[in-house]
Amino acid sequence: MSYLVCVLLFGLMVGSVGVASNPSPYFAAMGLVMVSGVGCGVLICFGGSFLPLVFFLIYLGGMMVVFAFSAALSAEPYPYGWGNRSVKMYVAAYVLGVGCAWKVLLGKWSGFWGGILDESGELLVLRGDMMGVAAMHDVGGWMLVLGGLGLLLTLFVVLELVRGVSRGGLRTV
Amino acid sequence: MTPIQMTFSTNFLLGLMGLTFHRTHLLSALLRLESMMLSLFLATSLWALQLSTINIATVPMLVLAFSACSASSGLRLLVATARTHGSDHMQNLNLLQC
Repeated sequence: MSYLVCVLLFGLMVGSVGVASNPSPYFAAMGLVMVSGVGCGVLICFGGSFLPLVFFLIYLGGMMVVFAFSAALSAEPYPYGWGNRSVKMYVAAYVLGVGCAWKVLLGKWSGFWGGILDESGELLVLRGDMMGVAAMHDVGGWMLVLGGLGLLLTLFVVLELVRGVSRGGLRTV
Repeated sequence: MTPIQMTFSTNFLLGLMGLTFHRTHLLSALLRLESMMLSLFLATSLWALQLSTINIATVPMLVLAFSACSASSGLRLLVATARTHGSDHMQNLNLLQC
């Protein structure tokens, strides 16, 4: 089970290097989907059941979808993938930097991956993180109300600033 | 440093470096902001799960909600840029010229 965590952590690093090196936004969004999927796997290996689900639904199903169709605004005829020379240079630089940092900072532990502590054995549905999120509804009710009001405010801010007639944020268009 | 901490810290720093060395598109800078937020979500969720401090599990949820606010504001800026400048190339945003 700890080998699964090793593989997922490696997938996290690969995906985040793929996002941070400068490909076209199509491919960066795909790398971010991979990173979020693998990150959910890491959370499941550590005993979470509700938080990875929330992450999949809200982040992937809400925010990444919006980013994916906003990528139509940055369309170009020849998008830069990871096979492009300048993107490959960024990938090489980031892999070198990450490798050096891992060697320096993790060298004290045994081996390259060190000791990974995880919860193997049972796979339950009702875990602790669900109770923690329930606490947000219970004692953290006012924070929930504030968060909801903040989101509503953001909705109106976005609406007003994209409106393009005389009193909006884009007056020229 | 444990491998888990190293992974999400490196994830955050990679997103930050990608944001610093951006090249052409505004949307790819926003995507790197999202990867930074992802690493923060992973970090706070692993805090709640590994140390068994269960009430901290509210923090990833609220961080996710407020990062949705920031992502929507960034996308609004992207749409505004595409409407006024025609594309989201960063070199077109040169009205300040300093």
